[in-house]
Amino acid sequence: MVEIANDDDFRRLLEGLDTAGQRAVAAHFVDNVLPLSGDDRIRHVTEIIAKPDAREDDLSMAFHTARTVTVDTHNRCGAECDWQDQAGYFVARAALAAVTPADQLAGGPAFQAAMSSRMARTCMGIGTAEDTAGQERQAQYRILSEFIQSQE
Amino acid sequence: MSGASLERGIHAFKEAIDAPVASFFSSCVRCGLCAHACLFFTETEDPKYTPIHKLEPLRRVWQQEYTFWGRLASALGLSKPVTDEDLADWETLVYDSCTMCGRCSMICPVGNDIAYMIRKMREGMAVAGHAPPGLIGATQRAVTIGSPMGVKLPALQAQIRQVEEETGMTIPVDVEGADYMLLLSSMEIMNFPEFIGALAKIFDQADVSWTISSNAFEATNSGIQIGVSEIAAELVQRIVDAVEKLKVKYVISPECGHAYMAIRWEGPNLIGKPYSFKVVHVLELLDELREQGRLKLSSKESQRLTYHDPCQIARRGGVVQQPRNLLNMVADDFAEMPETGTMNWCCGAGGGVSSNERADELRLTVFKRKKAQLDAVRPDAIVSACSNCRIHLEDGLEKYAMEIPVLSLTETIAEHLAEKDKSGE
Repeated sequence: MVEIANDDDFRRLLEGLDTAGQRAVAAHFVDNVLPLSGDDRIRHVTEIIAKPDAREDDLSMAFHTARTVTVDTHNRCGAECDWQDQAGYFVARAALAAVTPADQLAGGPAFQAAMSSRMARTCMGIGTAEDTAGQERQAQYRILSEFIQSQE
Repeated sequence: MSGASLERGIHAFKEAIDAPVASFFSSCVRCGLCAHACLFFTETEDPKYTPIHKLEPLRRVWQQEYTFWGRLASALGLSKPVTDEDLADWETLVYDSCTMCGRCSMICPVGNDIAYMIRKMREGMAVAGHAPPGLIGATQRAVTIGSPMGVKLPALQAQIRQVEEETGMTIPVDVEGADYMLLLSSMEIMNFPEFIGALAKIFDQADVSWTISSNAFEATNSGIQIGVSEIAAELVQRIVDAVEKLKVKYVISPECGHAYMAIRWEGPNLIGKPYSFKVVHVLELLDELREQGRLKLSSKESQRLTYHDPCQIARRGGVVQQPRNLLNMVADDFAEMPETGTMNWCCGAGGGVSSNERADELRLTVFKRKKAQLDAVRPDAIVSACSNCRIHLEDGLEKYAMEIPVLSLTETIAEHLAEKDKSGE
């Protein structure tokens, strides 16, 4: 198993993955927070991203769908916040990052998907004493470590 | 807003008719030029959206109460008093089809500030009980919770914790004696918390001493949007109190249009005294840091970028050149849309329109104007400096199937920032 002690290690290892690897591990990150989204469209997007042999047409459709869900789920200005709904927005953003071309995202798709997934957990933990984002971070370290090992 | 009645509304109208409003009404030559400056008219061609027409109940009160012939006509029973039905009819014109963008004020040949008059008219509409439910809810939450979206301190703290983990930096909270106090809009805290991290990176590189106040972090002011000066003043005073407690020299207004207008331009008038500190928009500060050579980039954006001027920051706030200086620093290919800067077209969602679900269809209809501006430039990405504009631009682009990402200017700069030189040289 690859030891990941902190986010610097995490980011470095993610940046070492090729495009397909980034997308595959991003799909796992999104999948881990999928229960926080009640939107079936995101479930479908995640299924497409997770396929190693996904066609360009399917990925393009997944990108459009993830973008639409992101726009549909943001909290409008002045509307009362609902952190559970907002978790769904960040899950959609994670899925969108996972399928966005690598050169359009600082840090790459997998890192951005990881950050948005943690934000989704943060939303769920607001108002509780639980370190939900910290737990998600540890889960992501484990996911990445297992993914790298599976590639060896 | 409790105890709303027509009587209170008319009374508020009379109070709202100050010297500028009275002179504006008496100066209007009914030329109709303001119609062609308003995207609600240009994109629908419905004459009811002519800006000066949106003020008709207020104009009638002015005429009947404050002009010789109007008072005579009233005394003789020849004029029709403003009724509750009139105000109900005008509610959508005043709140749904006006973003208080101020473009009509720029175009008026006799210099009438129509946006100012709409702001004044909303004072009477709100106390008469003719404000949209979405805005009433936002205003009540702003007063009771401190945020129009109900964002409480624990939520901000949770977002800060995650930003700290992501960036490895400490976000300063309640640091007494810092130079700058950063305000945030609830939109940033909820939808774009990465803005906090972006600014932390920039401030770290530029050695800016800053803090966030746990007592007053909210920048927006729904009291102004709905038109209740008492509430607007209370919200400004909370910020003033926090500044005095922390003894900071400057307040930073974030990437939010109306927050800047509220805290910088309306604030001192609302509380009735000058500030003991200065208010700067985040772009003003970033441009100052650029000018001083304190922003060092490691790369530049190669995509073709264009800039959407938030109305309250550019047209009503005067921050026009600073974003352009910053964009020319960070981008190789910055292209201006036609009609920008002080004459930019509103995105269609300012002035409380985005809080008002009833106005959704209309705000997306009038987005056609922004679409036309974007079609002329065909950018790879749109940059802006207002979270509300950003969300609405995304909505509009989705509606018209335009695949253009929308970026924050602050975040774009942070993305291209060089690593800080820790050598001390």
